[in-house]
Order: sequence, then structure tokens, then C-alpha cells
Amino acid sequence: MSARWFVVPGQRPLAALRALRIGSNRLHPAPQAADGPVVLFDTFDGQVAAAGRVLLGDARGLMLLGGPQGPVWQDPAVPGFVADMADGPVRAALGGIVSPLRRLCPIGEARLLRQPLALRDDLDKTRVRCDLLALDAGGRRAVALLRAQALRGYGPALARLAEGLHALGAVERLDAPGVIATLFPERQEQFARPAIAMAPDTTAFRVATDIIRAHIALARRTEPGIIDDIDSEFLHDHRVALRKVRSVLSLFKGVYGAAQTDDLKARFAALMTRTGRLRDLDVYLIERPAYLAMVPETVRPGLGLLFEAFAAERAAEHRDLSDHLQGDAHAREMRRLARLFDKPDARLVRGPMADRAAGDFARRLIWKRYRRVCAIAASIDDRTPDAQVHALRIQCKKLRYLLEFFAPMFPTAEVRPLIRALKKLQDVLGTFNDCAVQQAALAGRLQGLEAARGARKLEMAKGIGALLTVLDQRQRDARARVVASFAAFDAPATQAGFRALFKTAKASA
Amino acid sequence: MKIIACYSNKGGVGKTATSVNLAHALARDGQRVLLCDLDPQGAAGFYLRVKPSKNLKDDRFFKDVQRFTDAIRGSDHDRLDVLPANLSFRDFDVFLARMKNSRSRLKKALRAGGGDYDSVVLDCPPNISTLGESVFRAADAIVVPVIPTTLSERTFGQLLDFFRDNGLQKKKILGFFSMAQGTKTLHGQTMARMRAAYPKRLLDVVVPFASDVEKMGLHRAPVADFAPASVAAQAYDRLGRAVMARI
Repeated sequence: MSARWFVVPGQRPLAALRALRIGSNRLHPAPQAADGPVVLFDTFDGQVAAAGRVLLGDARGLMLLGGPQGPVWQDPAVPGFVADMADGPVRAALGGIVSPLRRLCPIGEARLLRQPLALRDDLDKTRVRCDLLALDAGGRRAVALLRAQALRGYGPALARLAEGLHALGAVERLDAPGVIATLFPERQEQFARPAIAMAPDTTAFRVATDIIRAHIALARRTEPGIIDDIDSEFLHDHRVALRKVRSVLSLFKGVYGAAQTDDLKARFAALMTRTGRLRDLDVYLIERPAYLAMVPETVRPGLGLLFEAFAAERAAEHRDLSDHLQGDAHAREMRRLARLFDKPDARLVRGPMADRAAGDFARRLIWKRYRRVCAIAASIDDRTPDAQVHALRIQCKKLRYLLEFFAPMFPTAEVRPLIRALKKLQDVLGTFNDCAVQQAALAGRLQGLEAARGARKLEMAKGIGALLTVLDQRQRDARARVVASFAAFDAPATQAGFRALFKTAKASA
Repeated sequence: MKIIACYSNKGGVGKTATSVNLAHALARDGQRVLLCDLDPQGAAGFYLRVKPSKNLKDDRFFKDVQRFTDAIRGSDHDRLDVLPANLSFRDFDVFLARMKNSRSRLKKALRAGGGDYDSVVLDCPPNISTLGESVFRAADAIVVPVIPTTLSERTFGQLLDFFRDNGLQKKKILGFFSMAQGTKTLHGQTMARMRAAYPKRLLDVVVPFASDVEKMGLHRAPVADFAPASVAAQAYDRLGRAVMARI
């Protein structure tokens, strides 16, 4: 029988449990209680909590709470990247929920009291085994979880215990994000994806400003992780946040004054330029195992040399970027930008579309962009030049951003399938583009080698050559799937969805 | 799944204590064990604090797999579950007599209901009846506690005769000396004589007469639970290993 989990309310959970009367049954604490400091771990973006789990570590081991099978245990270790962890049940469970690119980091310290309890009857027979896990982060920030598992044949006793616990106010769900929020309220903000409140009658100016402000803050929060080089996703998230700011500036035309828009575009573009090369190198190094697997064994040593060169270049690039991010100029620029959006009415110049109602504004922008995607796609067949495919990719990306920006104004159940359908098309277009970009970059690298001599260079060239062949094949495969992928996106249900949500009376006229 | 019956056609030989402690020893050794109490007095259930089964009345034990499995209770000891008896078990002979293939019914019921376990240990009532015969046919091993006295020696002989006369496999019978007292000359002589007479049917295990075994009723737990270092607990561990070595 599977265990049931309860969140026990109150500051003195053990006393409350001991006082509980379930007919003639009582909860008795077992002598094997343990009490000690514990560290909670998660990724920067809270992937463990988002999966409904809580990861704890102490001197006795790693414990992963939640999940269908209850807690799992593993020998003590400091968790980092899941792939680097020792084999065990915790690692196996984390493998399914944590991205291989994310490192698990300490998010806070607490005290953990582990108190086994037994629900025993009038014969002193154990009917239900319980485990109280009381986490206390000090200052009345505490969470108590009770795991209860009936011995075979004693399901009814567990049901009655559950009733008693419910009467105490216990709820039966391990709310992992809630646990983190209670213990470490300061982490809440960091985990949160920017959630921007908007209504159809909010002004376009307000929506744009709120989105930009939230993403500037998000970009700022990722900076310490980039500097400490915790994992590659801090920089990735940083760039996505800035890219979203730039797409608001370019897609929400006329919301800010023209000169203001141009100035902002240039400044955010400059911020991103700084980080571009490091991200490219990260992508190569992330793909290293996949690339090595794709080429014949004979050329792998050469490719290995290439990756060594990338790794060395990355180290230098990371040093430069860290210095830059910690420098006064960067801090000043970020502060200035943040300030603009903190007091937009006083500091930002409004454009002609500033006062448009966001609902109407969104529908017009999305419908227009959707029509453009369809128009370009209609012109693509298997012989169309690649440039058209790139154009389709860019339009799709813009459409995706618009859908995501404005999603809070539309019914989730109706918008989500559209985003999902679009995402599938984008995956194919993305692969096509990544292969093209990487081939161009590697070809450049190959030319750079020509000036040099020596066996090392020759071997590297062979490796690059093999990789180029594979990437070319991959790109062709993706290209061959473009037409079918658009046809799938162009399904009647998706068409109808776009039309129903975004086609305005004015646009149809 | 192996079926191990604790059986004696003589009462008061420590049969229930054997089944509880043997089942506990096997569970401690890592097996998933079901202790199935066939004795309507329900002493095995009593030792493990499990109340008599309410819904496994009359012939349901043999006919209703669902009720059989629903009646199983987890004991307080890891991997050891119990199927408690109730008073209607006293009529097992009557139920079996009414059923077709009565001698294979028990085996069928145990195989169907005890499929989750590595071993099913039976605590049997002390008689040679239809149920007894069913036990002899179902079991992979029949563990017989023998107090080294003249009377026990006689009943052990009777059991072997019964097996011979009814074409049952004698090699299933695994006797061991129970409640043996080293200070008694009679015990020593009987053990020596019986070992010579039944060299293959007696395990090299002696569970001594020990107050710890008597205290099981007080603690309502297997000996190894409250006196793990005791001679008796160690003897039951040896008994478990010796039985497993034979099946």
C-alpha cells in the first residue's frame, strides 16, 4: 500500500500528533528520533520543487521527499549536476526531473527532526507506521510533514488516522514550492517566473513596461550565477530575458516614442552583444558528447582537440564577462535602465500606441503575425531557397513571443494548445537553423586552421570535416521536415483557435 | 513460494513458538514470509498481537482468494505478515470433506493467496485429520518439534508410519529437538537413540528449554525481538537456515 503524506499545521506538530485520539488507537513516538542540521537543494529555477519534490541533504545522506513512492535515500553527497552524482535512488529520481544542464545548489539551511511514530491499537499492535519530518528554519518558519503507511491489512486504520489529521487541519499534499516559500520566503522571488498581471483594458504602455521591468530584474538575478559559473543556464536565462525585452521593443510598435525606442533597442542590444560569444561556446561544449557520438571513432581525437580549444576559449571569455558584469559601467547601465521602467510615466516617452487597450492591441499584433507566418509558409516547398525558411523561423519566433507575452489575457486552455503546436514547428526550424549557424562557424574555424601547420591541425581539420558532414545531413533532414511540420501546425483546429482568439472585427472587415 | 508446515501430532511441544520464531527468523534473513495460523485457538496471532480474522469464516479460506488476501495482516516485524485464525477454523475438516479434491484444496488456497511471499509458514493444529493430510501434501517441508521424551519419540514414529502407509514423501519430515534440557539424562539418551534411529529425519538443531520462549506470551513478540542474543533466538536462526538448506 502506498504511503500518504500530510502537511501538519502548527508550531508543535509532535505534541499535536501525540494528543490525537483515533478510537482506541494512539500515535506513539518511537525511540529512534534524530535531529540535526540539513541543507535544502534545488536548481536556480526550482526544478525540484516544481516537480513536487524537496531535496534535503545532511551528514547521513540525501533524501528526496514527495513523489509517488515516498521519500528515497542515498548516501551523503553534495549534489551538483545529476550526471556527476553517485548512482542511487535519489539520482535516478532526479534524472527524470532536473535538466542535465542545471546544477543543484544549496538554497537554505534548516534543522530537521525525524521522528518515527506508530499508530498502535489496544493490543499495542502497530497498525500504521508514520514518519514525522519537521523542518525548522528559525523565526517560526517551520514545516512539518507526516508520512503514514498502513501495515498490510490495516488500510481502514490509516483511513481513520487521515480523518483525524484532517480534523487537525492537515492537508494531504506535499506542496513543495509551498515548503520552500514557508522556510525561505526570500527564495520565492528568485524562483518565480515573471508573472505579469494584465487585463484587456490595461494600456499597451503599461503592459510593455511591466514586461520589460520584470525581465530586467530577472536578467539581474541571473548575474551572480553567471559570475560564479554555476551552470550554463544562468547565462542562457539572462540572454532570454534580454531578448524578450528587445522583442517587446520591436514588436510593440509605437508604444514608446520613436527616439526612445531606438535608444532602448541599441542599449539592450549592446548588453547582449557582450554575452554572445560565451553562449556560443557553451552550446558547443554542451553538445560535445552528442557531436563526438555522431562522428566516426577515427576522427574523434581531432574533434576532442577542437573542444579543448573551445574550452580554453570559453574560460577566457568567461573571465572577461565576469569582470564586465562586476564592473561599475555595467552596474550603472543596468541601474539606469531599471530606473526608467520603475517610474515609466515620468521617465519614458510615450508613443502613439501607448494608450491602446492591451487586449485589442494584442489581438491585432498576433493575428497579423500569424497571417505572415502562414503566408511565408505557403510559399515554401522542398525546393524553396533556405533564406525563406530562415524568414519563417524568425516570424514564428516573433509570434511565439507575442503569444507568451499576452497569454495572461486569454484563456489558458485555448492559448496553450496554440503555443504547443507552434513550438513543434519551431523545434524543426530551430534544428535547421542551429545546423546552418554551426556549419558556418566551423567552416570559419577550418579556414583559420589553413594558415597553421602540424599534425595537430590536420587531425583537428579531419574532425571538423566529419562534423560538418554530419551537421549538413542533420540540416537536410530538418529541411525535409519543414513542409510537413508546417502542414501539421496548419491543422484546422489550430487555424480555428487563432481565428477565434485573435481575429478582430476590424481585421476581418 | 515454499510452504513450511510446523506440525506435530502431539500437543504442547512448542509448535506455535516454533512457527512464530521460525517465520521471524526467515523474515530477518530477508525473506517475505506469511505466517498462516491454521489452529483455531489462534495462538500464533496472539503472539503477534493480531486479532482473529472476522471475514474469513467457514469455507472461504479455501474458496475466496480475495477474502484470504484481505485477511492478511502486517505484523510489527519487517517482512513478516500473518493470516490470523478464528474459531471457524475448527471445522476445516468438515469443509474439506464436503469439497472435491479435498486433499489438494489447501495447497491451492495457499498458492493463490500467498503468492506475494517467499515462504508461507503454517502453524498446524495437533492431529492427523483431513486437514493434516492436506498439510502433508501441500508442504515442501514439515518441521516437527520433538521433545526428547519417550512419548514424543513414540508419536514421531507414528507420524513416519502414517507417511509410509499413505504413500507420502517421508523426506519432507524435518524433526528437531525442542524444549531440550541438557541436565536431564533421559533427554540426552532419547536424543542419542532417535538420532541413531532417524539420522535423515532429524535436523542437527536443538532448541533448549528456555524461559525466554515462555516469555513470548508476556512480550507478545518473537524471542529474537526482545532477547536477540538469547540461546533460544540463536537456535531458531539455526533452525531457519537448516530448514532452508533442505528445501
